[in-house]
Amino acid sequence: MHEYAIAQHLVNLVETQAKMAKAKRVLAVDISLGEQSHVHSESLSLYFDMLTDAEKSPASGAELRVKRTPMWFYCPTCKLEYTVKTNDFCCPDCSELGQLIDAGDELSLQSIEVKV
Amino acid sequence: MTLASKTIDIKQRLLIKNDEAAELNRNAFQAQQVLAINLIAAPGAGKTSFINETIKGLKTKANVAVIEGDIAGSIDTEKVLAAGASDAVQINTSGKCHLEANMLSVSLEQLDLNNADFVLIENVGNLICPTSWDLGEQLKVCLVSAAEGDDKPVKYPEVFAKSDVIILNKIDLIPFVEFNKSFFYKTLKALNPTAPMFEVSCRTHEGVEAWLSYLQQTHSSQFQEHDLRV
Repeated sequence: MHEYAIAQHLVNLVETQAKMAKAKRVLAVDISLGEQSHVHSESLSLYFDMLTDAEKSPASGAELRVKRTPMWFYCPTCKLEYTVKTNDFCCPDCSELGQLIDAGDELSLQSIEVKV
Repeated sequence: MTLASKTIDIKQRLLIKNDEAAELNRNAFQAQQVLAINLIAAPGAGKTSFINETIKGLKTKANVAVIEGDIAGSIDTEKVLAAGASDAVQINTSGKCHLEANMLSVSLEQLDLNNADFVLIENVGNLICPTSWDLGEQLKVCLVSAAEGDDKPVKYPEVFAKSDVIILNKIDLIPFVEFNKSFFYKTLKALNPTAPMFEVSCRTHEGVEAWLSYLQQTHSSQFQEHDLRV
């Protein structure tokens, strides 16, 4: 839903970093997207392409590589970290309610691969 | 990887520019001793009614300014001014599904912050997108109504996990809409065990007083030695 706005921020970050590194081209962009961030990878890729003009942007044509990171809970009884399988956030082993340790809302630029 | 290519480590939040703009807004609120509240809710949850209840309830005790985020139009601004808001500004997002920090910065230039104790920011009706964008508020408040169902924390965990306060509105409808309170609270507690939680009905005014007291207490603990402006 909000992929266009996020793509604008992503393109700005990538272009700034590429400029700082005096890169000729950006070959690939590695990002982490939390599963709960509600960002659709294909949609983000589409906007990334739209916003990187082949004539003007060194990031044009770069491959967007997306790592999805899940929401994590911790079960104090089983001392187990788990991702959600049931619809009530309960521990898959003992069915007790766990505690949230990672909301799965990451939106980050990890690295870029550039041609110098 | 070819010889001419290299990898540059960055590890930065994608929305860093938004975060920076949000920090400037936060500084402006702190400097003016204004408590800013980012109200996030689905369409029809009762955001505008809740804002009106808050304005009316605080009328003799504090000045409440309002920033209305909406896709288009100015109906809500007129409503909150009629309810007694000290000032109100509308942000039309031109279709964007959430407010961003720089949109707020622009609206703050038009808003009389000097004369306000609270700024209520009504985000665009949406439980998903607004959560990712920090506006510089001191309190992120998630408002959900009983009529929407008890499964909202399960369906939209991020907003419940990230909010400072949770409001359950339309509690007068609970007997009619099969809202399972224990399931709602169980999942909410897993996501956010510490956030204060208020049950209200803007129609019957039940529970609103507790919310108003909480707001005033939060204001005085945030800005010690400062009297409210009314």
